Amino acid sequence: MARLLQQVQSKMFIFAHRRALGLLDGEYGSLFKGRSLDFDDLRAYTPGDEVRDIDWKATARHGSPLVKRYVAVRRQTVLLVVDTGRNMAALAASGECKRDIAVQALGVLGYLAHRHGDVVGLVHGNAEGSRTVPPRSGEDHLERLLQDVRRSAVLDGGPSGIAHQLGHVLRTFSRRMLLVVVADGLLPDAATEMLLRRLQARHEVLWFTVRDAELAGPGDSDAFEVADGSGIPAAIAADPAVRAAYLQAGIEREQRRQEVFRRLGIAEGGAGGSADVLPELFALLERHRTRTSRGTGRTASSGRPTFSEGPQHAG
Amino acid sequence: MELSFWWVLPLAAAALALAVNRAARRARGRDVRPVAHSERLTALPEYRRALRRHRRWLATAVVAGFLLLAATALAAARPAERSTTRPELRNRDIILCLDVSGSMAGTDAAITGVFEQLAKEFDGERIGMVMFDSRAVQLFPLSDDYDYIAGELAAARKAFDDGGDAFFSGTWGGNGSSLVGDGLASCLRSFPGDGNAQDAHRSRSVILATDNYVSGTPVFTLEQAAQLATPRGIRIHALNPGDLDYGDDKDQPGARLRAVAESSGGSYFAPDNPDAVPGIVQKVRESEATEHQGAPQLVVADRPELPLLAALLSGAVLLFAGWRLER
Repeated sequence: MARLLQQVQSKMFIFAHRRALGLLDGEYGSLFKGRSLDFDDLRAYTPGDEVRDIDWKATARHGSPLVKRYVAVRRQTVLLVVDTGRNMAALAASGECKRDIAVQALGVLGYLAHRHGDVVGLVHGNAEGSRTVPPRSGEDHLERLLQDVRRSAVLDGGPSGIAHQLGHVLRTFSRRMLLVVVADGLLPDAATEMLLRRLQARHEVLWFTVRDAELAGPGDSDAFEVADGSGIPAAIAADPAVRAAYLQAGIEREQRRQEVFRRLGIAEGGAGGSADVLPELFALLERHRTRTSRGTGRTASSGRPTFSEGPQHAG
Repeated sequence: MELSFWWVLPLAAAALALAVNRAARRARGRDVRPVAHSERLTALPEYRRALRRHRRWLATAVVAGFLLLAATALAAARPAERSTTRPELRNRDIILCLDVSGSMAGTDAAITGVFEQLAKEFDGERIGMVMFDSRAVQLFPLSDDYDYIAGELAAARKAFDDGGDAFFSGTWGGNGSSLVGDGLASCLRSFPGDGNAQDAHRSRSVILATDNYVSGTPVFTLEQAAQLATPRGIRIHALNPGDLDYGDDKDQPGARLRAVAESSGGSYFAPDNPDAVPGIVQKVRESEATEHQGAPQLVVADRPELPLLAALLSGAVLLFAGWRLER
């Protein structure tokens, strides 16, 4: 029991040697703009904390930055939206299975949420259907989510279609929560973009990309497309002209993807290997924080629903 | 065309089927990378071009490989051509024995003309020439130096045509003229070896051109001379352009000549004019040829050229295609 989660935890522990684990906690804690007014205590500032949480008077008295801690009014809900179609059983950029990297990322986020006392739910599936695991707390629950994802994303599963999961979330969940979409390097089409726009209006949305395997590398073996089984001979993929065109097209494609996410105002990050998951997740949370703190005023002025569980704390 | 080892073909086909089967099974279990969003690569025009090229070379390699296998299997089955031949023996010795008395000039010229032509296509045959009037003169001995023979025959024909007296001067001065018996005896003695030691490997014949009008007393009568022919195995073919015999009298010159020729196993011709001579000579040669043919032989000759050439070409194409595919 709890094997997958233990693996995730051990990776996080290693990461913590290089970067304080509290840093991640801090980044995670600032995902939600909501603050209660119930002052708990003061604690030392750690990088990643919101500047507006700093108690300047106490800081002046104490000599080093202190931040105010509040008791969370209620549990937040984190919904992991995962593609568990055939695509996720393919290889990632590092040569690992994309599923394993997705599980790694989900585990980190889930564990952070667990430490924060939040409940974690899961929506996963493929183009043929979505499955929902209702949000709950606890490590066992988290482990079950990870096991679900790992079991579902197999080569002979259904074709991938993250839009189905996004639509499912849109139909099923109306309460505001943190959506973390874990999918591969797909280029969202217009319909998906519209879905994301509507989700973004209702929830906090993060997008974590599991980067796909490079197709035109030298010395690779033959490959096949998981969607339709068509083959890619290694001899052609290694052709210098094809490789050059592929690299150029890859850069343009990535630019188009980034453009989509920038239009949507969704923070996007991704990892091509399990070693990159923690730093990239950290960067993603950081990016989301700066984006939302920048976007707060705009959100308020445009009249979009904001997190209304408690009054905004003005630092 | 037939195959010496026809059973190689089904063996090769079975081996090929087995190899294809095993290769297909191995390919199924081979390590291929599952990837997603391959349209990142496959949608590129460069990729499509390269794929088309790759497929063309692949098809070329498959076809060439199949051809190579088929051709080598065919060559291994030893395609052979079976034929029967009756080898013609070209080991003949012919002595032209020409009476050069004035009446024979036309026939002699025709005979030398025919042999002048024939000398160009001789291969292994030897001919010699003896002319006689009152004395016999050997113009040239049995020889297979065909350039030399052609030259001598040309000179002789020119002399027959022009009536060049100096050419025939050695044949005069004997006791009489047209001493056919002496002349024939000289001709028969012109074959190498002496007496009855007949060379089993070479046929011997004399073409004797004479009208058999003898004036004077020869040492040999015609019949005596002809007796020399039998122990030596020499056939006498006689050409008599002036056969003026009446009735069946066996003492007439033509009848005597015919008797001599046929008793030696040869033949007798009495052409009306010199133009008939080439046909007669041809007939003589053919009769000699049919009598001296070897036993029919079964010849089985391997003919691997075509399959091996095809194998070489397809092998080269296969190597080139493989090199292109590996790049």
